[in-house]
Amino acid sequence: MNAMLKRPMKTLMAVGVSLGLAVGFSATVSASDWKPTKAVEYIAPANPGGGWDTLVRTTANVIRAEGLSDQNFAAINVPGGGGAIAWAQIARDSKNDHKLFATSPPIILVPLSGTSRFNHKDFTPIARLITDYSIVLVRADSPYQTVNDLFDAIKNNSRLSVGGGSAAGSMDHISIAGAASVAGLKASDVNYIAFSGGGEAMTNLLGGHVEAVITGAGESLGQLEGSQLRALAVSSPERIQGALASVPTYQEQGIDYTFDIWRGVMGPKDMSPAAVTYYQDLFAKMMETDSWTEATTRLGWLDAYQNSEEFGVFLDEQLEQFSAVLGELGLLRQ
Amino acid sequence: MESLNDLIYGFGIALDPMNLMYVFVGVFAGTLIGMLPGLGPISALALMIPITFNMSPASGLILMSGVYYGAIFGGSTSSILLNAPGVAGTVATSFDGYPMAKQGLAGKALAIAAYASFVGGTISVVGLMLIAPLLSKVAVSFGPAEYFALMVLGLTAVVSLSDKSLVKGLIAAVVGIMISIMGMDLQTGTERYTFDSIHMLEGIDFLVVALGIFALAEVFYMLLKGSNKPQERNVIGSLKLSKSEVKEIAAPIGRSSILGFFTGVLPGAGATIGSFLGYSMEKRLAKDGDTFGKGNIKGVAAPEAANNAACGGSFVPLLTLGVPGSGTTAVLLGALLVMGVTPGPMMLEQRPDVFWGVIASMYIGNIFLLVLNLPLIPYIARILDAPRPLLLALILIFCMIGVYGISFSTFDLLMLLLFGLIGLVMRLYGFPAAPLILGLILGALMEESMRRALQISGGEWSIFIDKPISLTLLAIALFSLTAPMIKTAIKRARSA
Repeated sequence: MNAMLKRPMKTLMAVGVSLGLAVGFSATVSASDWKPTKAVEYIAPANPGGGWDTLVRTTANVIRAEGLSDQNFAAINVPGGGGAIAWAQIARDSKNDHKLFATSPPIILVPLSGTSRFNHKDFTPIARLITDYSIVLVRADSPYQTVNDLFDAIKNNSRLSVGGGSAAGSMDHISIAGAASVAGLKASDVNYIAFSGGGEAMTNLLGGHVEAVITGAGESLGQLEGSQLRALAVSSPERIQGALASVPTYQEQGIDYTFDIWRGVMGPKDMSPAAVTYYQDLFAKMMETDSWTEATTRLGWLDAYQNSEEFGVFLDEQLEQFSAVLGELGLLRQ
Repeated sequence: MESLNDLIYGFGIALDPMNLMYVFVGVFAGTLIGMLPGLGPISALALMIPITFNMSPASGLILMSGVYYGAIFGGSTSSILLNAPGVAGTVATSFDGYPMAKQGLAGKALAIAAYASFVGGTISVVGLMLIAPLLSKVAVSFGPAEYFALMVLGLTAVVSLSDKSLVKGLIAAVVGIMISIMGMDLQTGTERYTFDSIHMLEGIDFLVVALGIFALAEVFYMLLKGSNKPQERNVIGSLKLSKSEVKEIAAPIGRSSILGFFTGVLPGAGATIGSFLGYSMEKRLAKDGDTFGKGNIKGVAAPEAANNAACGGSFVPLLTLGVPGSGTTAVLLGALLVMGVTPGPMMLEQRPDVFWGVIASMYIGNIFLLVLNLPLIPYIARILDAPRPLLLALILIFCMIGVYGISFSTFDLLMLLLFGLIGLVMRLYGFPAAPLILGLILGALMEESMRRALQISGGEWSIFIDKPISLTLLAIALFSLTAPMIKTAIKRARSA
């Protein structure tokens, strides 16, 4: 019934839009009238279970639950290369208005370390949504009680392994190496072991194969519920409220360091302006819903919305900052 | 005793009429998805997430896990009938299943696959129920060094999989390993064998190679060897097993189920590796091991029991640690997160309804699968009655759709054709295909694990023998390589 009513309406609108265009007075009308006409491919450039994946599934979920779009936002995982494999795939499909992907610092870090041919300028920023922080975990029976204990141990033992779910030179590595460098070590002192996802890094920590793991604070919630792990430090400027309230920041422990894992959404390079407007507004609307508030509370995320234009400016600034940091750490390969 | 109470509680949930329907719909859809070559459970499950969103987490997981083990159950059908593996886990089933079908024993091969799948699936549910929390310790005890050793052990199967010439088998295995490391290296981001092509950055999907080397190569081979042979394929044969046949496959099914279950528990190993290990174990143990690959019923029973058991085993890390062990369980994890359940060490206490409900539903699902599949065999097997030109065209279409469904990439279709041609050349010159597939499955994981282990140890190779599990696995690998030589040496010494 519904579907039958909708179809002629849509056709009418399409006719109206094309008529408007023909007469030549309606860029704005067509912009606000663009809607996805089929399922949107919503890509998480990593295996399921990680930060990008959680962002994609949670936002797709809220959009569906709140009825914000007639079309399904279909979560698709394209893992590998710290994200570079998905970016290559999306760059190949540059005109697709029905393709989005979750993004975060790796879109800047990975190209800088020379492992992706595509950087954030090869895509269209849609919106920045949230920020998360990284967290250092050890086993509950580990001798390290504070993050300084861990860094002292690293100073004396260059083999002490710290696992992470992204490639060398990527987000997790930079986060811990940057902290170590501020704490007075050399960034390269950290023996960082790259696993193909946060989940795999976690099993290796639980099994005693690595001494510590660096991961996203949001991702670690399910694991921290048990009594097997202990969190040593979180990279936020102030303690995160909720389940992680007992975890001290780096700054509390005398290390003047913060690391933001901002997350947002981007589209292919030549996405039509009308589609960009539609999506940025859709995400703004999404972040005002109750389902969203409920989800962010559960996942420990903090809202940090920016629209397409602001997000683009922000990304350029991040590029400058990260280039400086990476250069300092000797990880700049470009 | 306690788990009995829990199980009764679980059945209370699984026997709810709606949940019963979800089990049925899940396994039915799964069987169909499994039968079509290429179309695997991962994409099907990802598509179902929106459907499960409004269900209770228990119902959602009951439905989705039904699709998963249903697909592994049904995947053997096209392996046996068309030499085209339905899912990655059933590649090994085609080694003996397809020769059986060619000999007019398709019905029997399908029936054995169904019984073995049922037993393997059920044994794994029992294991899941009784020792899942304990097994989570086994799962985390495998670090990079242990995985490397396991992969080495797996690779020794090359010896048993190269039937005529060991050298040709080894060549095929090395080619397989080389294919497996194509694309971008995870640890450094370096591109390997990509020929500067964006399409190669992602490497080559396993099913593209498997469908090319098995199904497409078979099509080409039949076209080449063409019509001078009379058509002998339209015999389905009886489904019944004789008493001696039942006796013959009982022990292999039991052993492979247990082996498969433990392989499934290890994150990263899974149904495909499990089925290969089961197959090569039984080939070595069998007195008539040299008839494996020519239509031995144990060669169908072993991998089918192992892959279904591995499927159950893969729920152990998912439900007890919140860590997905395979692509498919990763999608299940994502679905649970979406439904508001965070799998982790506390899940068993916090959401017993999900844990025990799913386990109970698996008992029911396996019975559904057996009852559903057995009567359908004669009808499905009738596909072999199709005239040969039609059948060949059908296989070609199935493979194309399957490959396109994985990546939506026309480049991959060309790769499929290329591997079809490679498979044909290999057949014509007597290179066995199975070792290539084995190298492809194990190669990348072996290499990654080795490098990680060495990075942790600071370059000390001793890490591989310092760790007891790794040492044991490597010792078994060494023994299984040298045992045949020692045997012949003893024989020679005796006869001299």
